[in-house]
Amino acid sequence: MITGMERLVAAINGEKSDRIPVFCNLLDQGADELGIASLQEYYANGEHVAEAQLRMREKYGYDNVWSLFYVGKEAELLGCEKITFSKGGPPNVEDYVIKNYDDIVNLEIPDDISALPAFEENLKCLNILKREVGGKQPICAYLTSGITLPAILMGMDKWLELLLMGPTDIRDLLIAKCSEFFQKEIDAFRKAGADVLVYSQPFGSTDIMPMRLIKELTLPSMKMDIEPGGVGGLVYYCGSSPFNNVIDMMIKELGIGVFYLSPKDDIAEAKKIINGRALTCGVINDIKLVSWSREEIRAEVKRMCEAGMPGGKFLFGTLVMPYDIPKQNIRAMLEAAYEYGSY
Amino acid sequence: MQHKIIQDYNEAVYDTDRDKALEVINRALADGITPEQIVFDVIIPAMEAMMASISKDFDANLAQHFMAAQIASEVTEEMISRFQNPPESLGTIVIGTSVGDMHTLGKRIVSGCLRSMMIDVVDLGVNVKPETFVDKAVEINAPVIAISSMMMHTATSENGCLRVREILKERGLEDKIKLVVGGAPFRWDNDLYKTVGADAWADNGISAGEMIKKFVLESRS
Repeated sequence: MITGMERLVAAINGEKSDRIPVFCNLLDQGADELGIASLQEYYANGEHVAEAQLRMREKYGYDNVWSLFYVGKEAELLGCEKITFSKGGPPNVEDYVIKNYDDIVNLEIPDDISALPAFEENLKCLNILKREVGGKQPICAYLTSGITLPAILMGMDKWLELLLMGPTDIRDLLIAKCSEFFQKEIDAFRKAGADVLVYSQPFGSTDIMPMRLIKELTLPSMKMDIEPGGVGGLVYYCGSSPFNNVIDMMIKELGIGVFYLSPKDDIAEAKKIINGRALTCGVINDIKLVSWSREEIRAEVKRMCEAGMPGGKFLFGTLVMPYDIPKQNIRAMLEAAYEYGSY
Repeated sequence: MQHKIIQDYNEAVYDTDRDKALEVINRALADGITPEQIVFDVIIPAMEAMMASISKDFDANLAQHFMAAQIASEVTEEMISRFQNPPESLGTIVIGTSVGDMHTLGKRIVSGCLRSMMIDVVDLGVNVKPETFVDKAVEINAPVIAISSMMMHTATSENGCLRVREILKERGLEDKIKLVVGGAPFRWDNDLYKTVGADAWADNGISAGEMIKKFVLESRS
């Protein structure tokens, strides 16, 4: 039987398998899958996350598993001591690591991420995923870019203030430190067996930054992030912000080979821009999956597949699926993707 | 003259260049424009021009929204300290993020935008309980409660906007206080504001400022 990894590799190479690869990003739903009432309890143990990821993939039949717990985990690796958990959605960073500019000067980037106690459960999870489905199903990891990470270390508004108004020496120091963290983090995830490295880069979308600043600030920081380890397995993702108008630049300047679009991006336009040079991932508006009918879901998936499949090199995906999406809607979306995504 | 100042100022804001924007203001002051004229004839019309552009699909981004609100509120605060007589406030509104939500950027943009238009803002911070929103609005006679939620579960939570609506209903305040929401989930589902019981939503911080100003002015009439 064909595996998710074979589908993904075929798509990257522009070859046809039985169908397009389908990535479904279920995270918090894992607690429910295991019958664990509290997300805090669920995320406290890497075995829980691995077990739930394996079970959900098996149950629904999509083509990826996640080693991501929640985005605030990266802040914990750098000293964040307080995360707010709630019942129905992803945990939030409550205690910012950076409270003033002295904290930026004093911020220390650990030499070996994989040796940190806060990474222990991630490693446990990755080891299980690698043992159970390594080489058969793509194992995804989530990494925040150097220019974006400060947003979860000091808050988005404080970071925008520093980024746009300076002092520039402190701004550049923080970007350099966060980039160093990224380089070490991606190395740790690669060594632990992650294949698909989702590079979260909202500051690479013109919904967030003007093109001038993307060229002046984002692009140089991306080179710092990426060049030491290369683009192998790297997926460009702007955290749901659209980015069709930077794709060409990212291919030419950095050689990125996979683009995980925003639901707001025009898939056919993205394919035209990419022109066979990379894998295009069409992404559904999964907030609407909460309320859409089965017919509406099927119509949207069909539209996306028709826009993305001609010429191959296409993957169907979701954002981080909200907890409120009814299970029958998840099934309806996946069944439609398997049906309309067949070759 | 005034048109040229507004144009130069907004160009600097669109370019996210705070130093250049402040230079335009300082040059105008040096040319004899009064602090009152700066606020009422430059900053407010410039903000209104930006709101109009955004409502006509001008492709502004988050950095521009942030800088527009930041610079406008900064300049307004500075100019007001130099006014001959303190300006009249159009009203005061209450803002905060819903329970469980720690994201501060949206309300900061909205607040900066409103302050530059002579609307005072009581910022209740993050992770605000529904009762706190209503109690404070009643205490200061606010015609608007603005709730920012960046995540689906904090937008739709029973302890968020939904509960604020219930309390307004229970206390017979629905005619007096409008409920405005904003944040990422509302951008992905434009009908979600109805589901959570809000009167209105806005796509971005600057448009939220425009929406709230309209409600504040209506409450005065």
